[in-house]
Parts: sequence; structure tokens; C-alpha cells
Amino acid sequence: MGPEISQFLAGMKKTVEQVVLPNLHDRFAQEQAGIVAATLAFLEQVHDKVFHYELLEQHLYGRLLRQILELLSVPEVSDPEIVDTLAGIQRQLAEDPRGDIHLYSYDYLRASNESMKELLCALIRQQPALPDALRTTLEADLLQPFFRDLEQRERSWVKPLGFDAQAAQLPDIAELLYRDNRLQLPGDGPP
Amino acid sequence: MIDRTPTQRLRSAPTADWIRDVRARFPVERTIDEVLTRKLKGRGRPLEHRTDPGTLAQRLEHYLHAVTGQPDLEFTNLQRLTGGASKEQFTFDLRWRPDGSARVSRKLILRMDPGESIVETHRLRETQLLRAMAGVVPVPEVLWVDPTPEHLGHPFLIAEFLRGTVQPEGGDKASGLGMYFAPDLRAELKVQFVRHLASIHRFDWRTAALSAYDHPRTDHREATAWSLATWERVWHEDTLESHPLMDYAAAWLKAHMPAVETPVVVHGDYRSGNFMYTDDLRINAVLDWELAHLGDHHEDLAYTASDILGCPDENGTMLVCGLLPRDEFFARYHELSGLPVDPERLFYFEVLNYYKMAVIAVATSLRTAHGRRTHLDAMMNLLSGFGYIALSHLQRLLGDRSNLQ
Repeated sequence: MGPEISQFLAGMKKTVEQVVLPNLHDRFAQEQAGIVAATLAFLEQVHDKVFHYELLEQHLYGRLLRQILELLSVPEVSDPEIVDTLAGIQRQLAEDPRGDIHLYSYDYLRASNESMKELLCALIRQQPALPDALRTTLEADLLQPFFRDLEQRERSWVKPLGFDAQAAQLPDIAELLYRDNRLQLPGDGPP
Repeated sequence: MIDRTPTQRLRSAPTADWIRDVRARFPVERTIDEVLTRKLKGRGRPLEHRTDPGTLAQRLEHYLHAVTGQPDLEFTNLQRLTGGASKEQFTFDLRWRPDGSARVSRKLILRMDPGESIVETHRLRETQLLRAMAGVVPVPEVLWVDPTPEHLGHPFLIAEFLRGTVQPEGGDKASGLGMYFAPDLRAELKVQFVRHLASIHRFDWRTAALSAYDHPRTDHREATAWSLATWERVWHEDTLESHPLMDYAAAWLKAHMPAVETPVVVHGDYRSGNFMYTDDLRINAVLDWELAHLGDHHEDLAYTASDILGCPDENGTMLVCGLLPRDEFFARYHELSGLPVDPERLFYFEVLNYYKMAVIAVATSLRTAHGRRTHLDAMMNLLSGFGYIALSHLQRLLGDRSNLQ
């Protein structure tokens, strides 16, 4: 199948930069065309990693929600809203295919990931009603490591957009996702 | 395809029940509620934002005739401005009799809401504060305002156009964020920059005509609660996808909210890119008051001093807004304002400000581009890069503290 998407993007970027921009005389149009060129440069960097990014998130959110279920499925957790959210998490995890999730469409992955994120967010909003000890464990052992990982991944993803003063110190998204050209899923060891 | 879950579908096509629930869940100031509710009610309409300059010119000229009562005024040279991120801005020349006597010519600026904006704000609030600040700090004079879509299809204000520099040669930063100033510029601008912030905070707003602002109680959390509720509401109305850190941060902010002893005018976006200076290096305008509200002065201090808006000097020292080191900024501010600089409150408002930046640049920017509701759809997508850096700062701040208790 050709041409590859990267070739389309590179061709558009070159045309915008070398043909369109120099011949625009309206400053607003110049500013917007520059933004379009910058967007194309970003897409060149990330377009072939989008599916694997979502696939990795599917595994990471799924693992976190299973850990949360294990931690909070105890008699001390009796708040009805939390119990209801935990039941929702259980249903969501039961619905999602696990072993062959990589065979599903990008759209399916995005939908499943968003459902898991919504459930996690609901639980975070409800956590003041948890017993203190469980709340501390949830935060220190599960949420904080998850947030650190998420922060690094998101910041590397947007690195090519050019806003980050610390870009030079950040890994490229490919370094985070892959080792030896293979996606690093939870349990595969640190990339 | 963005709307994959029931919540996502409600955000994109809000029902009356959903709008009512959101309004009840996040109590905000009256006029903020007005613009946010109008945004939600308009969201279901499948309209791209388009501005036809010819139609705009006709409607604007018609409005000017009506508002001045002068059929013989001369309206010419409507030109779009570059550089903004939230409102559509145009300049034009107007020749008319301001006080009914001698004819004068002035270059004016039209500042108009797009269909949906990266920040949904109220033109009457902005106008009232600009008028209140005249003589306190340098601001452009507002001539006319219409906070409704009646005349131009969108709310707008018309102000005098001031000449000056916002970005120095080679600044080249989106919206002036993190701009570099050469040492000679820094030396001249930094004290003015701090002095104007101190003047804003020392201003006695109770004597001003600020009917569009709800007045918070002293020694009370109310002012900050409104501020947090505003950004929380905007997040839940606009975000295209959920983000657990945002809910975590909101919970932390609620649990740690300090009382505001003496509410002041908070500019809300006081940084490089939002002031203008003349060739003789005098700040001649403090701009972009649309996020102003009454609250804790630490909210502005923490925002202005945040690393994400700073720029390092030639030796790598991070400078507040590219102008002066953080310690010097706080020391000069305290000296000029007489107001305390409390590190604990600075931390709290640093968290709130990064939360706010993430709301604006991750949720609303992408929502407006998703709906094709602005004149800057490509830029709105790009700005999400700034938003995720704000999220990163938020995570690091809260991760260091590690205390939701």
C-alpha cells in the first residue's frame, strides 16, 4: 500500500513551507499556515505510533483497575457510590477482550480506554469516603506510580509540538513504547 | 469519531437536564454561569465558525451608526489582527464626533467572541474592569460593548488601538508564552511589570462599578471556591476525554482551599505577551483582562511566577516571564504592594493555576477545534502541547506532596 502516510505528510509540509507560506501576504494567513506546517511536522513523528499508544494504555488502565478491585473489594468499603463504581469496573473488565485486544479496531480501543478512564475518575472523586488506610494505600501504591508513568508518556507524546523547555531531557515517544522494535507491555520489564 | 461513551455524547450535544445538573454541581459567578450556559446551549448546533469580512464590516458599520447616532461617520480599513488565541480581533479606522462636536479619526480594535473560545468569558466583565483600571495601570479605553450576539452575531467590545510592542524582535512565541527579553529590555521593564501588578492588587474595587462581578466575602473561601468551580465546570463541559490526574487535583484543591483574608482584583493572565511597551521602553498597556475576577493575590503571583511561563536568562537562571528571578519578583512585589507573600498559598495557587492551564489548553482548546468553533482550529489543536506540559507540572507538584488527606 502506498504511498505511506509519512510520505503524504512530508509532501504537504514541504508544499506549505516552500510554496504556500512565501506567497502569502496576509499576516493572519501566514501565521495559520505556519501552524499547519508545525502540525504536519508533529503528525510525521507520531502517526505510526497511535495504535500502540492506545494499546499500551488499554493494558495499563486495565491493570490499574484490576489492582484497585483487589484492594477495595473488602468489607470495610461500604460506601454505596464506591461499591457501585467497583461493580462498574468489574463489568467493564469482564466485557473487554484481553488476550486478543490487539486485533480490535482503533475505535474500539479508544472507547474501551475512555470507559476505563471515566470509571477511574469516578473512583478518585469518591475516594474521600474510603477508610483512611485504604485511601493511603490506593494513593501511594497505585495512583502515584500510575500518574508518574502517565506524565512521562504524555509529555514525550507532545514533545514534537515544541512547547517544552525541557524537551532535550525527555525521551522520544518511540523510546518509551518500544524495545527492540517491540511494544513494551506491563510485565515485559522496563523499556 | 470522538463521542464513544454516554458522557462524551452529552458533552457534545448537551441536554437540558445535563446542563441543569452541571450548573447545580459547580456554583460559579452569575455572569460566568451566563456565558458557560450560553456556550452549552449553542453546542448542539452543527455550525462551523466562519467570519465573512464583508458581512462583518456591514454589520459593524450599522452598529456604529446606531450607537453614535451619526449617519455621516466614516468607517474604513477593517483588518484582521494576528497573535491572539481566544478572541477574533480586527482593527479599523473611524472618523466621527465622539462628543458631538469636532470630528476626530481614531484607529480602534474590535474584540469579538468566536463561536466557542479557548476561554469563554464575558465582554461586560472585561469592559467594566478595563474602565475601572483607567488611571490605575495603563489600559486601553473601551468605547462600546455588546455582551450579547445581537448586533454582530457574537459578543464584542470596541476599544482604542494602542501602538507598541508585545513581542520583541524574534520573540516568535505562541501568544507570547515563555518569551525571551534581552538584558537591556529586562532592566527597563521588570520594575514596571511588578509595579503594575502591585497596583492592580492594591486597587479598592469596592469603589468601582463592577456589577458584573459577584463580590466575595472577606476571610472566606468563597472567592477561591468560585474560581475552582469555574475551571472544574469547564473541564467537565469541554474535555474530549477523561484524565484521572484532573479529578485527583480537583479533590486536592477542595481539601486544601485557604480562606482569602482580603479579596483583590486578580488579573488572571498577567504575563509576558499580555503587556505592551513603547519604543522608549515604557509599559503602555496591560492587556487581556478577560479572566479577571476578585480573589487571592497569590493566584496572580503564582501564575505569573510559574516556570511554564518563564524563560531562562543567558546563564540558565529561570526568569519570571523572562524578566527577573523569582526571589526578586516576590521581594519587589512585597515592597511595592505591602501585601504578604506566603509560600504555602503560593503552592496552593500554583496547583490551581496548572489545573486551570490544563483545563484551557487540553480540554477547551481541543473541544473548540473538535467543533470547528473558532477562527483558530489548527492552533487550538497545537496548544494542547502546552496543556500536557501543564498537566506534567501538576503531577510533579502533587506527587511531591503526595497528600490528599
